[in-house]
Amino acid sequence: MDNRIKVLRAEQDWSQQTLAERIGVSRQAINAVERGKHDPSLQLAFDIASQFNQRIEDIFFPEKKSEPED
Amino acid sequence: MKMSKQEIFFVKRFMTAMVLFLILIAVQTFSIELLELSTWQKVIVTLLPVLPLIWAFLIYRAKYRALDEYMKALTGEAFLWMIALLCFSSFIYGMLAMKFPMPPVELALVMPIVFGGHGLILQLLIWKDNG
Repeated sequence: MDNRIKVLRAEQDWSQQTLAERIGVSRQAINAVERGKHDPSLQLAFDIASQFNQRIEDIFFPEKKSEPED
Repeated sequence: MKMSKQEIFFVKRFMTAMVLFLILIAVQTFSIELLELSTWQKVIVTLLPVLPLIWAFLIYRAKYRALDEYMKALTGEAFLWMIALLCFSSFIYGMLAMKFPMPPVELALVMPIVFGGHGLILQLLIWKDNG
């Protein structure tokens, strides 16, 4: 899943560790979500969104699936 | 890297269990060597070091339950890898042992190998995602 976490963090001048501590997860979890290595649960997605005062759909985007060729 | 209070608490309790394990290994060795014990007393003394290991397992389980979803997923995958390695290697050994004379394997080594291997695989998985 694509996301804007890195951009939003930069705007707030937060490190991954800072965001992780605010949410109560490991830094590795934030890094994995940010890099698209881990799709967050709905709860974690809500927690991340609330830290940036944004809606989930403004932060997370589904990966575009390629259209099957006819 | 700075450890959280929870991590420090976990490390302290886990290391206490490990120290207790080593002490009981020493007690076991010296008791059996130096004391005249009956068979059932020897059995109890021999199995004493298992108790801190069970305690260590319960400590680790509590830590696992407190992990975030990502670390839980990686810990589970590392466990799956370790079980697969253990099952495949024991099956391969068993198959070979049916056809060829094989060196004996010390079963008491299985647990430390599984625990150590699990930790190593977990670090590799973290490194793969975060490296």
